[in-house]
Amino acid sequence: MSSVNPVKPRNPLRLLPLLLILLLAACSPSPANTAEPAAAEHGQTDKSLTLLFNVQSNTLDPHTDVNYTAVRAGIAETLVRISNDLSLQPAVAESWSSEDGQHWTFVIRSGLTFQNGQPVDAAAVQASLERAQAVNPSVKNSLHIRELQAARQELTIITEKPYPQLPSDLVHPNTAIIAAELAESAPVGTGPFRFVSFQSGSQLKVERNEQYWGGTVQLAQASILFNEDANARLLALQAKSADIVYRPPVESFAQLQADDSLTLESLTGLRTHQLMYNMNNEALRSEQVRKALDALIDRDAIVGSVMSGQATAAQGPFLADAPFSPEYLPKQFSLDQAREAFAAAGYDVENGLVSRQGKPLSFCLLTYQSRAELPLISQLIQASAKELGIGLEIRQVDNIDEYLAASDDWDLATYSSITAPRGDASYFLNAAYTSGGALNYGNVQEPELEAMIDKLNGTVDEQERNRLARDAVSYIDAHMLNSYIVHPNNFVAFSNDVKNWVTSKSEYYLLTPELDVE
Amino acid sequence: MWRSFGKKLLGLLVFVLFLSFISFCLLKLVPGDPVRSMLRVDDVAVSREDIADLRNELGLDRPLLVQYGAWLGKLLRLDFGVSYMTYRPVLGEFAEKLPFTLLLTGGSLLVMLVISVPLGALSAVYRNRWVDRFSRVFSLIGSSLPSFWLGLLLIQLLSVKLHLLPPMGGGSLAHLVLPSLTLGVAMSAIYVRLIRSSLLESGGQDFVASAKARGLHPARVFWFHTFRHSLVPLVTLLSESLGSLLGGTLVVEILFAYPGLGKWIVDAIVARDYPVIQGYILFISLCIVVLNLLVELSYRWIHPQLGWKGR
Repeated sequence: MSSVNPVKPRNPLRLLPLLLILLLAACSPSPANTAEPAAAEHGQTDKSLTLLFNVQSNTLDPHTDVNYTAVRAGIAETLVRISNDLSLQPAVAESWSSEDGQHWTFVIRSGLTFQNGQPVDAAAVQASLERAQAVNPSVKNSLHIRELQAARQELTIITEKPYPQLPSDLVHPNTAIIAAELAESAPVGTGPFRFVSFQSGSQLKVERNEQYWGGTVQLAQASILFNEDANARLLALQAKSADIVYRPPVESFAQLQADDSLTLESLTGLRTHQLMYNMNNEALRSEQVRKALDALIDRDAIVGSVMSGQATAAQGPFLADAPFSPEYLPKQFSLDQAREAFAAAGYDVENGLVSRQGKPLSFCLLTYQSRAELPLISQLIQASAKELGIGLEIRQVDNIDEYLAASDDWDLATYSSITAPRGDASYFLNAAYTSGGALNYGNVQEPELEAMIDKLNGTVDEQERNRLARDAVSYIDAHMLNSYIVHPNNFVAFSNDVKNWVTSKSEYYLLTPELDVE
Repeated sequence: MWRSFGKKLLGLLVFVLFLSFISFCLLKLVPGDPVRSMLRVDDVAVSREDIADLRNELGLDRPLLVQYGAWLGKLLRLDFGVSYMTYRPVLGEFAEKLPFTLLLTGGSLLVMLVISVPLGALSAVYRNRWVDRFSRVFSLIGSSLPSFWLGLLLIQLLSVKLHLLPPMGGGSLAHLVLPSLTLGVAMSAIYVRLIRSSLLESGGQDFVASAKARGLHPARVFWFHTFRHSLVPLVTLLSESLGSLLGGTLVVEILFAYPGLGKWIVDAIVARDYPVIQGYILFISLCIVVLNLLVELSYRWIHPQLGWKGR
């Protein structure tokens, strides 16, 4: 191969660096967008704020969006809201009542208007709920509505069967109230912010709703950006492209705490990481075996090392301070306790090792990567089990729900869910502990427990419902039907210029009328 | 020429149809379906009966061929169906994402060409000199750097330190620069070496020596003889890169929250959103088919001696 003759040194490439710099300079945005905190560019009457969220939305239709962005951004509101202490509060509906749990009356807030000025009466709410049921099978399936009747500001909802948890289910953002006839273009709701623009999967812009029923809205404009990469979110905060950032990387906490211009807030969330037992496995049908396996879970080590301190050790499915949580039995990591429980279940324990008829025990433990901490938790449990001579084969699957529903070749499975998303225990108890429940992957069949859940399903009085839920959860706890491991925290970093930010447990409400910047 | 082109096009359309059938079968072979996601089993109380009812309503329990026939029937009426997750028409969602992907494709190819053509040419011209050694190191580093890391470095430099560019989002030229740089730099690492070796090979051909002997200007010899002859491998690789860029670039899209096709299709695959997946496969296979045809045509332009009748 021979070389090529040199071209004469009239090289236009020498201008390349200059051209690149000019291009970058031409492309660079005005400081108002990125270089400075959004609020700093505006006066008191024209404040704006940018929030960076960790999950993206591909649609803004509140009735179908799995990320609930329209409600989170304060564009749309639901009939009922949930507070941080998990109590239900009026929103579009100012009150509701039912004698039998089947015939419900919701009184719509009087004088309420949509953001386009159209009045919100019971007929408008009915149209919105009918649309939600028509476009989203999940809403239709969960509300069990047989009939809707509208009379001025009173909406009557008749369910197919007594359904006491209806107000709780109407907290769900997919039931948000919007002007149904305009839903195909852009959502027009009753919330503190009006829709301005939306870029699927990337960003949403909103502006103040001057007519908001709940008082003055502090911010004139706000943007929600979506980015699923934790490091990119951290960099956006450092570049001052965002004022509030959801879930920065856990490993950056020390760095963020050292920054005087930022506040880091961490609050126990409603999610629970858990360990499921497959009751089709004969060994796992034994309560003592399940208790032995639970004793192999070092919750403190998981909170400290796997979750970097950003979690609370779980004693049961719901947060300990929830009104439907009983006094949970204490859970302790103890290899000796595990050995005792195996011995009580009829297993041989010699030299600290557990076996049956001379053969060591082994189980298949399923886990999945989309919650990165679950494979690590699995490894910790595997290491503890090894101390007892028990083999845990860890298997990673892509879609845990599909796998658990379709396969029975597993014994234990790590899983994660929001157990009480709307201040009521019945959703999780029905889904996870009734024979036909969609989350009952371990095939738990406990007639006594199902009878308790049935009774709960037919009870309207809130105090009584909480008492029945506590009884059911106590049963689950006492029989160790699942092991509950940790409640991960919701954590948010925000600029000190941001005022009145509230990290919500439910994460349903991000942009609020009170939210402000200096 | 046109007859040959038409025959090829017809054959390729049959191939696309065959591909859609194979992908449909493969999708159905994977365990699971979208029903659990549609009913939000992780958020609202759902029974197994509800799941079975919806599966029946959607026809997901019907025989495979019947399901494929139903999809094909709709397709013939240009109905690509509705996404199971957002309940919006697939074509509408696709049309929303496509311009962003096209822009990113164009941007990253531009960055790649701006870097690799001069650097590759200079490496060939000044073989074993410092430019060549620099390009070798650049290629080594460029092809070893994971794109997500390169992206993070670029954000750190151009957004956090210099405040020149927004770190994420889409919709303006400014938003396009960082993702294009990330992809373009990574691609150029390969192209620089390819261009260099291809130029060196062309430079040794008889027709180049003959052109020089005829006393042509060295620049003319380089651009019209050496460079043109070396375009064949470049165009081949370019068509592969184009296909891959049009298919979506997941890592870069996630990092820069760029609203392209890559994240959209991965979400659809995870949720088993069949109408979206099928529509996407159809589009991408059509794109690749058309690209291949164009590449074949371009060979004939680069090497007229190949003729238009084909082999």
